Amino acid sequence: MTTIATDPPRNGPSPLERSYSRLGMLLIAPTIVVFSAVIVYPLLAAIYLSVFSIYTPTLEGEFVGADNYIEMLTGGVFWSSLLTTLIWTVGTLSLQIVFGVGLALLLHQNIWFRSLARSLVLFPYFLSTVVAVLVWRWLFNDLYGALNHGLMQVGIIDMPLDWLGSMPNAMIGVILVGAWKYFPFVVIAVLARLQTIPENLYEAARIDGAGPIARFWDVTLPQLRSVLTVIILLRAIWDFKEFDLLYLLTGGGPVTSTQTLSLLVYQEAFSLNRMGQAAAYSVGMMLVMLVFMILYIRRTKEES
Amino acid sequence: MANVSFTNVRKSFGDFTALESLDLEIHDGEFVALLGPSGCGKSTTLRMLAGLEFPTSGDISIGGRVVNDLAPGKRDIAMVFQSYALYPHMTVGENIAYPLKKRGLKKPERDEAVRRAAELLQLEPLLNRKPKQLSGGQQQRVALGRALVREPRVFLLDEPLSNLDAKLRSYMRAELIELHRRLGKTMVYVTHDQLEAMTMADRIVVMHGGRVQQFDTPDAVYNRPANRFVAGFIGTPPMNQIEGTVQGATFVVNSHRQPIKREAFAASLVDGPAVMGVRPEFVGIHDSGDGLPATVRLAENTGHETIVTLELPDGARIMSRVEAGRKLSVGQPVILRFDPAGIHLFEATENGARLNLDIPVAATLSQSA
Repeated sequence: MTTIATDPPRNGPSPLERSYSRLGMLLIAPTIVVFSAVIVYPLLAAIYLSVFSIYTPTLEGEFVGADNYIEMLTGGVFWSSLLTTLIWTVGTLSLQIVFGVGLALLLHQNIWFRSLARSLVLFPYFLSTVVAVLVWRWLFNDLYGALNHGLMQVGIIDMPLDWLGSMPNAMIGVILVGAWKYFPFVVIAVLARLQTIPENLYEAARIDGAGPIARFWDVTLPQLRSVLTVIILLRAIWDFKEFDLLYLLTGGGPVTSTQTLSLLVYQEAFSLNRMGQAAAYSVGMMLVMLVFMILYIRRTKEES
Repeated sequence: MANVSFTNVRKSFGDFTALESLDLEIHDGEFVALLGPSGCGKSTTLRMLAGLEFPTSGDISIGGRVVNDLAPGKRDIAMVFQSYALYPHMTVGENIAYPLKKRGLKKPERDEAVRRAAELLQLEPLLNRKPKQLSGGQQQRVALGRALVREPRVFLLDEPLSNLDAKLRSYMRAELIELHRRLGKTMVYVTHDQLEAMTMADRIVVMHGGRVQQFDTPDAVYNRPANRFVAGFIGTPPMNQIEGTVQGATFVVNSHRQPIKREAFAASLVDGPAVMGVRPEFVGIHDSGDGLPATVRLAENTGHETIVTLELPDGARIMSRVEAGRKLSVGQPVILRFDPAGIHLFEATENGARLNLDIPVAATLSQSA
């Protein structure tokens, strides 16, 4: 008879496992502290402020309950601003995707200036927004702008147009500048994905009798699908909350025709000194963005 | 008829010449393996036949028709890739149907063809899965299905088994042989694995440095290697090559005189330096007597045989294959004797040609017995 030695049954983690998890918590603690200070606290503070009527310079005011929210839902400013935001987001994002994918496909070809073109294409994305907007405002200027000058030279218009001061020109203008500024992001992300598509798939498709257009639809596009979903969701979130480009280019004008939600929040808080109402708008804005964020999180979970 | 021929085909990439003057005549229905180490030009040859690369000069023809200017999809060929190259977003059924769809076949016809291919390859339960959900062997079978569904004149296979584990690979070898027998189509198979080439092919093209070294049956490539490269490439372990001198009816190595039959060799065999080739199974290890003295360096018992590495006094190494139970210890001095039936002589140059007269090996064996 031999006895087989077995380990005594253990309850819970071993001392080594416990010391590893203590170390893990120690290592993520700084991140949690910073995250709480710059994300969680402002978020909670905004929700807190949104139930008060607060005068911005003194940051004092009284509790008003849901009044700010009632004004948001019934006042009309929020809804028209939301509509403007959606027009801006859909318009600029569509152009970013179309030009971004198109240029990425072009740059993926084996052309001699590819590496130079790849660095140049990033230029708008890396350029400071202030600098870019100042140049665009000069181009768009109705008195001495290069755009009007050029259009008049070739005879498309015979009177200078007011580009940023009238509708729908102002909206078209900001959408174009937004597309110009942010399409390089799409180019780079799509190009990176294009380079990972196995060459064998194209070769197999050629042997199977697929021409260039069939290869785009049957090989390239399905491979780009996941990266395009992520790009669209990310850029939708970023364009939705875009502030500096719009503020500097039109300031929301003419009147409020390019006033997106970010600009509305800013105006309420610092021009009208109604911090509480601004906080309520920003909470409303956050709820809209939450939809995109949930989609994005679900999408990235599926990927992994 | 789907014979394949390469006539004076050259391929260079810039300054690099991948293939110089390739001439091949592959018969209709033949299974030909292109075998060689990486960079020998075998894949380039296959890819030119597929139309994925263009020859720098020369003609490639299928069924008597020059295909140099035909697009891959128009050559009536199908190719199986090493990575399988299945379309990841399509189901197994859609993958197999794709080449038919591109040829404009209607859905009922496509479904019928897919059903037949799936039946042949036992893929029926997998038709609605995506490639990602399949094992390597299953993906391999889907790739084969996509190739055979269109009933091409020539099948091209680019190292199709190299991503499979050893057991599955030997199973798929048998499957491919069976498939070839059943379809009777011309198949061109690229591999660096001599076992695959030896077991499956009707004929093997041994390639090295952009040139065909030998194009012959597996038996001939093993038993009558055309030159020192083929001798050193085919066989595990490969043929021993021992430098020495021909003197009359003997081959002298380190003052050991190995008798040879002068009449078994070409007239170009003259007295002077040469290389003797002996397969490990023809190297006998003895304790004493006349022969070449050597020392045992390593004895590897594989279970059914023992592979022995021996060292000559001048440092040259010789491999021998002996029965499994043989007791040999490292450092033990032994005497080697070579079976005259297994002796090949090569020119003493780097890739010297074989000097034996091409008498069938069976005949030489019975002569010496």
